Amino acid sequence: MNALINRKTLGFIIPNIVILPIIGINKLFNASSGGILVFSEFVILPILIGIMSAWFWKNDKLSGKTLIWNSIINGFIAILLSFLFLGEGAICLIIVSPLIFVFVITGAFIGKMMFKRGNQRLNVSFVSLLMAIFIVDSVSEHHYENMVSDEVIIKASPEKIWKNVVAFEKIEQPNHYWLFQIGMPSPIQTTVTDYKNGAGRKCIFSNGYIFDEKIVQFEINKNLTFDIVNQPKDPEIMGHIDIDRGQFLLKDNGNGTTTLIGNSWYKLHVFPIWYYDIWAESITRNVHLRVMNHIKTLSEK
Amino acid sequence: MFDLVVKYLSFLKSIPLFALIYDSILKLNTLISDPLKLAWYDEIEEEVLKWNGTSISLHKFGGTQFNYHQKELGHLHSNGILDVLFNKKIKQKLIDDGRAKEHHVFKKSGWISLYIKDRADVKNAIALLFIAYKSYKK
Repeated sequence: MNALINRKTLGFIIPNIVILPIIGINKLFNASSGGILVFSEFVILPILIGIMSAWFWKNDKLSGKTLIWNSIINGFIAILLSFLFLGEGAICLIIVSPLIFVFVITGAFIGKMMFKRGNQRLNVSFVSLLMAIFIVDSVSEHHYENMVSDEVIIKASPEKIWKNVVAFEKIEQPNHYWLFQIGMPSPIQTTVTDYKNGAGRKCIFSNGYIFDEKIVQFEINKNLTFDIVNQPKDPEIMGHIDIDRGQFLLKDNGNGTTTLIGNSWYKLHVFPIWYYDIWAESITRNVHLRVMNHIKTLSEK
Repeated sequence: MFDLVVKYLSFLKSIPLFALIYDSILKLNTLISDPLKLAWYDEIEEEVLKWNGTSISLHKFGGTQFNYHQKELGHLHSNGILDVLFNKKIKQKLIDDGRAKEHHVFKKSGWISLYIKDRADVKNAIALLFIAYKSYKK
């Protein structure tokens, strides 16, 4: 009985103890490349957690439901350990959790079938293949850039809007985007040192973060483009994304309205792109809309 | 949703592990929306594994595959769709008797689909797999 209990418990402890240092070491080696987190850390390693745990539980005849629940618990342990020992932020871990749960479950069911068949050569080959993918992925170059663009129609002339685009007072409206509501910093104010090309600009976020910007294009009533020269690094999403450039374009529609276009260029430091870019686009879009809707409100007064 | 993915995004199955990952999402969804179904899947699995020469494996399109030696009897997706392969004559009879439906994608093949929605469907699922098993055993 004791041996059985121990084996069950080991199915939670050992896989996480094995995987956590692998992520830590990988993070350490990748520190020079901006702390990139590769796709294998979110795909291959959770699958390996699942496979390892299935090995500990192979004689327990677990029901499908129990195996799924155990895998979810294993995912939670992995997330908790990442929070405690790898310095990842809570919101970042909320974003990553669906990926972890799905891949730990996948690994557990792969493991269940593997150990049922008992073909050791095949099992070793499969796990070795996963490890090989992890190593190759870890040492490979990773680079991803994207641009997000949004538009808002404002019932005002470009002249009236322009001053609100360059700098604006504190945003007082409540946040509607769920990630901002649970604590992700959102933009609240922008200040500028001068109204000309080369001037400094600061975008202040709700938690006090400041993005230092430099105006690189200043075409009055038409185009404000700025490079982000300094941005905070923290364990939340902002440590995993670099905003490189921002831009506001104003187009006079000739009917008393103006189209305000907001563009942002960013680099992602987390992979797989097919998952994280959905989040990055959504967050960038909501940063845009928070600022642009504020500009709209100020300009339509 | 499942049919749309199978019909229009079937090219994704060539991505290694994609089908298994998609099936894990179905498992999570079943755990949240209808956890009782997971016990029924176990019941089907346990029953089939009692028959001589049977085994289970992961199906290439996701789910549990039931085998008789190296041949596939059928497979159960984690949303409760059981697909079983018969010859066209048996397939037609099963559909006429109301025990199965045309396969959710390959309508012209010998495959049938059974949508496991309640307790009675579990019995029917085991019976269908047993018919396939017996026909292979001959």
